[in-house]
Amino acid sequence: MSSNNMSGWESYYKNEGDEEEEQEEGLEAGGDYSYSGRDSLIFLVDASRAMFESQDEDELTPFDMSIQCIRSVYTNKIISSNRDLLAVVFYGTKKDKNSVNFKNIYVLQELDNPGVKRVQELDKFKGQEGKKYFEDQIGHGSDYSLSEVLWVCANLFSDVQFKMSHKRIMLFTNEDDPHGDDSAKASRARTKAGDLRDTGIFLDLMHLKKRGGFDTSLFYRDVIIAENEDIGIHFEESSKLEDLLRKVRAKETRKRVLSRLKLKLNKDVTLTVGIYNMVQKAYRPPPVRLYRETNEPVKTKTRTFNVNTGSLLLPSDTKRSQTYSHRQIVLEKEETEELKRFDEPGFILIGFKPLMMLKKHHYLRHSLFVYPEESLINGSSTLFSALLTKCLEKEVMAVCRYTPRRNSPPCFVALVPQEEELDDQKIQVAPPGFQLVFLPYADDKRKVPFTEKVMANPEQVDKMKAIVQKLRFKYRSDSFENPVLQQHFRNMEALALDLMEPEQAVDLTCKEAITELRSSFHGRLSC
Amino acid sequence: MAAVVLCMDVGLAMSNSFPDEESPFELAKKVMTMFVQRQVFAENKDEVALVLFGTDGTENALAAGDQYQNITVHRHLMCPDFDLLEDIESKIQPGSQQADLLDALIVCMDLIQEETLGKKFEKRHIEVFTDLSSPFSRDQLDIIIHNLKKSGISLQFFLPFPIGKQGGTGDRGDGSLLSDHHGPSFPPKGITEQQKEGIQMVKKVMMSLEGEDGLEEIYSFSEALRQLCVFKKTERRSMPWSCQLTIGSNLSIKIVAYKSITQEKVKKCWTVVDARTLKKEAIQKETVYCLNDDDETEVSKEDTIQGFRYGSDIIPFSKVDEEQMKYKSEGKCFSVLGFCRSSQVHMKYFMGNQVLKVFAAKDDEAAAVALSSLIHALDELDMVAVVRYVYNEKTNPQVGVAFPLIKDAYECLVYIQLPFMEDLRQYMFPSLKNNRKCTPTEAQLSAVDALIDSMSLVQKDEEEGTIEDLFPTSKIPNPQFQRLFQCLLHRALHPQEPLPPIQQHILSMLDPPTEVTAKCQVPLSKIKTLFPLTEVIKKKNQVTGQDIFQDNHEEGPTCKKLKTEEEEAHFSVSSLAEGSVTCVGSVNPAENFRVLVRQKKATFEEASHQLINHIEQFLDTNETLYFMKSMDCIKAFREEAIQFSEEQRFNNFLKALRDKVEVKQLNHFWEIVVHDGVTLITKDEAPGSSVTTEEAKKFLAPKENANADSAAAFEEGGDVDDLLELI
Repeated sequence: MSSNNMSGWESYYKNEGDEEEEQEEGLEAGGDYSYSGRDSLIFLVDASRAMFESQDEDELTPFDMSIQCIRSVYTNKIISSNRDLLAVVFYGTKKDKNSVNFKNIYVLQELDNPGVKRVQELDKFKGQEGKKYFEDQIGHGSDYSLSEVLWVCANLFSDVQFKMSHKRIMLFTNEDDPHGDDSAKASRARTKAGDLRDTGIFLDLMHLKKRGGFDTSLFYRDVIIAENEDIGIHFEESSKLEDLLRKVRAKETRKRVLSRLKLKLNKDVTLTVGIYNMVQKAYRPPPVRLYRETNEPVKTKTRTFNVNTGSLLLPSDTKRSQTYSHRQIVLEKEETEELKRFDEPGFILIGFKPLMMLKKHHYLRHSLFVYPEESLINGSSTLFSALLTKCLEKEVMAVCRYTPRRNSPPCFVALVPQEEELDDQKIQVAPPGFQLVFLPYADDKRKVPFTEKVMANPEQVDKMKAIVQKLRFKYRSDSFENPVLQQHFRNMEALALDLMEPEQAVDLTCKEAITELRSSFHGRLSC
Repeated sequence: MAAVVLCMDVGLAMSNSFPDEESPFELAKKVMTMFVQRQVFAENKDEVALVLFGTDGTENALAAGDQYQNITVHRHLMCPDFDLLEDIESKIQPGSQQADLLDALIVCMDLIQEETLGKKFEKRHIEVFTDLSSPFSRDQLDIIIHNLKKSGISLQFFLPFPIGKQGGTGDRGDGSLLSDHHGPSFPPKGITEQQKEGIQMVKKVMMSLEGEDGLEEIYSFSEALRQLCVFKKTERRSMPWSCQLTIGSNLSIKIVAYKSITQEKVKKCWTVVDARTLKKEAIQKETVYCLNDDDETEVSKEDTIQGFRYGSDIIPFSKVDEEQMKYKSEGKCFSVLGFCRSSQVHMKYFMGNQVLKVFAAKDDEAAAVALSSLIHALDELDMVAVVRYVYNEKTNPQVGVAFPLIKDAYECLVYIQLPFMEDLRQYMFPSLKNNRKCTPTEAQLSAVDALIDSMSLVQKDEEEGTIEDLFPTSKIPNPQFQRLFQCLLHRALHPQEPLPPIQQHILSMLDPPTEVTAKCQVPLSKIKTLFPLTEVIKKKNQVTGQDIFQDNHEEGPTCKKLKTEEEEAHFSVSSLAEGSVTCVGSVNPAENFRVLVRQKKATFEEASHQLINHIEQFLDTNETLYFMKSMDCIKAFREEAIQFSEEQRFNNFLKALRDKVEVKQLNHFWEIVVHDGVTLITKDEAPGSSVTTEEAKKFLAPKENANADSAAAFEEGGDVDDLLELI
């Protein structure tokens, strides 16, 4: 490996040459749409008059907050998963627009990929002007039936031609008792919500601030329950955009399990777990080739043929070879896979070690998350829960031999227990389960020619401490945006909208971005 | 570059072994094979010679008269290759003689002296494989030691048994030995006086060459096989990366960083070759571009341009544009963005593929002091630095953490990359604590507690206050490499045979220490009895309503056919797919309906009301897809009505439906009803009906303006309830 590769990411394109790595990455990314279908998400926004009233002059109206939040999901989806389908539906409107001509329901955008035009359309509803625009174009209605609203949403899902892996509706409202005076309507809404649930459509309540508080027990508890009962998480109502955004973010990405594997305590005792990826390098999407005349995408076909005969070669017409000291060694393709096979996929428990023996500086690759999987072996959750409880209590980690899939060599991992954590909004910030930490083999460690130890004296250390204290900040994992990705998407946005100059992305990793942190910094270290 | 002489004892005693054990002769060959194959596959320029002693014949430069007898230089110093491996595997045979080990050493030394003349070798090395059972004469021992020292030749011994290494197992940092917890650390019984004398001699040689450390270079065969890495491996050197660590604009420290951990990959890739000629030149790969039309018209690469997706839009964006508009970093950088508590930067956020160790620049005292004060300040405050890192102007910037690492011999900052906002995924998982379904009982918890204790991989030394790691994973070599080499070698020597099984010593290297496996048997069987774990039997392929509908439609026109087996199939499918059905839902209303009435979970009246509700809603969509679904429901309704003698209810429904269809102008739908021949239930089908076959037929015939009255009744606007009232 050349020294150039030190940072290992000079290119944002995945390395085409490195077939093995690519395969691995692809599997790890776990987002292979061709198998799992697309995620789809309908933003269902209450557009009754109350949604346009703010309690404070400088406070965003609940409607404005919802729109900004939706916009942010749109732009994020463009970056992270542009094949997902999004829709926006208003209800409680004066005008109606939907395939079944129900009153007071306005489908602003049907389920489709997010794109620039859609983002621009959303922008029209922003702020005071947006309020006016809404009133002119759509207007508030006096009535609606939530069961019809859900019916329309269900229709949107069934109109989609793609295979969908996940269907979700997010309901933004600040009305906690929508059919308080009409029990028939209320009960129909509950039934319809139940129907959606049976079809595998998830319904989430993104309840917004209401004077006197949002009381979920009046109506929504019966409508939303099913999922939340399982999850055991009940959000607080959101009064700030930031809170709402976090709530929405937490729900908008569907959990994708990388794999479901057996964890063997020995040959007789086996439970099953799911492996999840919580950190995954986001790459710029690969370029597509377009036909110069029409700008339409072209298909790429790669074929392998025999130079001598000109005939196309099937995979079975080829073998794999390596040459060492003038001797060619030939294997079948299957054999090159087979020789990497040691164990069946899964975990084999080796034993337990105190947590303090985990070395931070022995990091090998990003960790994964492990959570019990009841669908393959019943009773897995209970045993898993017992292991987690005891590992936390005894401050130990489980060392396992891990084979991620067939034909992959084993590696050693530490299962580090993690306790569930909620923040003040009752949003889960750390799920309960084990962090899967990869442990290096002897070959992965390199000898480093270290510099002779020169110790600073206590005074010098104290001076440095003062500097450190002055530059103190609270680190959050989502503090920094990737300037390269952001710049790329700004460029794309600008070109898509025919803007002259793209907006420059603010690079938070640049020193300038934290000037306020350093403005108080005058100290100089004399050595 | 190194010159290595393998010096192997093939004498009489080497073939002796206990039953079911491999002889020292075979074990020595295995260890040598491993060493040589590593050399071959590493493709370095080391040269290797092979000297055998105890051979029946004699062939060496020093042999004269009765001197240096039964010693054979099997192969002179040259690059190791498959011929050598082949020789080790099949040509070397046990001899029937005995030869003096020290004589053999002299032959080896002479060989190195002679054959390295005029070549540059940084290392000269002799590896001796023997069981020490042949007599030797000590006369020349001191001269030998003197000469070894003088010419800088190092020695390693490999014996069939471990020797006592008192106090020799301290932590020697990277590459040190595992403490030998797999076996006894003293010579086993059955060692002859001659062998004891041999051990003393070997120890003396090694002590005089390398002092106490010399004893570490005496290995048992099993030790060597298990550790694989005992061979002085050709270390990969890390490239230094020099930069300035900056804090604010005023403080900068000259630093140098090295990769300290990165995943080691197999170096050589597989080449695709033609299966018949085994030539890679015979194969060519070609990429063509074609339009997305029916003919897949090919276009040349020159006629294509580059673009990117931005959501649903595709934006043409040439390489030139890209170069001009892309983010440009200002080059090498290692600057502190701020400091935070170390607990805020959790390990679970670590990413990237390397760990860097950051030191002060060489011979820069000021830098060394500054970095040292930073390291200690962070350590004492329990804080870390968040850093912007750019390798060079061509690479993208990273955010990462730098935390202090203080060792006896050195101190440094350790740098690891952290995620950007875009790299994070926030998933939520159900709580395990308050979930009654998976809360373990006290008994279950204490069983797990006992298991954890029994499977502890550490041994605490109370007196010393130290903890010994019984399973130090970072000292285990990656078995993937050894396995690859084994298969390559096997295929090279036996091209026609299938790949060999994995070697036992590799498998056992990956298994938990035997004492741990033994101790955990009881707690594990307790867990087995306390925790019910049952494998879920895979459900049959789930059938969606859509699938069923399609079948149904194809069979459509002949309703009666459905009554027999087909019907039963539907029933079983629905009960499988739905689990327990309590009401008619909108997904599989027809199936739900069948289940409800057959399992008597609801009255026929109740179930049919629910079904009619759905039919109504489907029709309101005015979409063909829903028409089909409605048909499904109507057919189900009809069949079940006959079964349960509820024909009147169905006939009323169908009449009301016909009227309603007319009012709502759903002619298209009615055409389907007519086409499928779904009509009133006749008295031939059910005795309770008064409808004749003739009437039933007529019911579907086009209407001549009849029933104007009932049509008027609906004009006020058909609501769901209307149909129900009429029944």
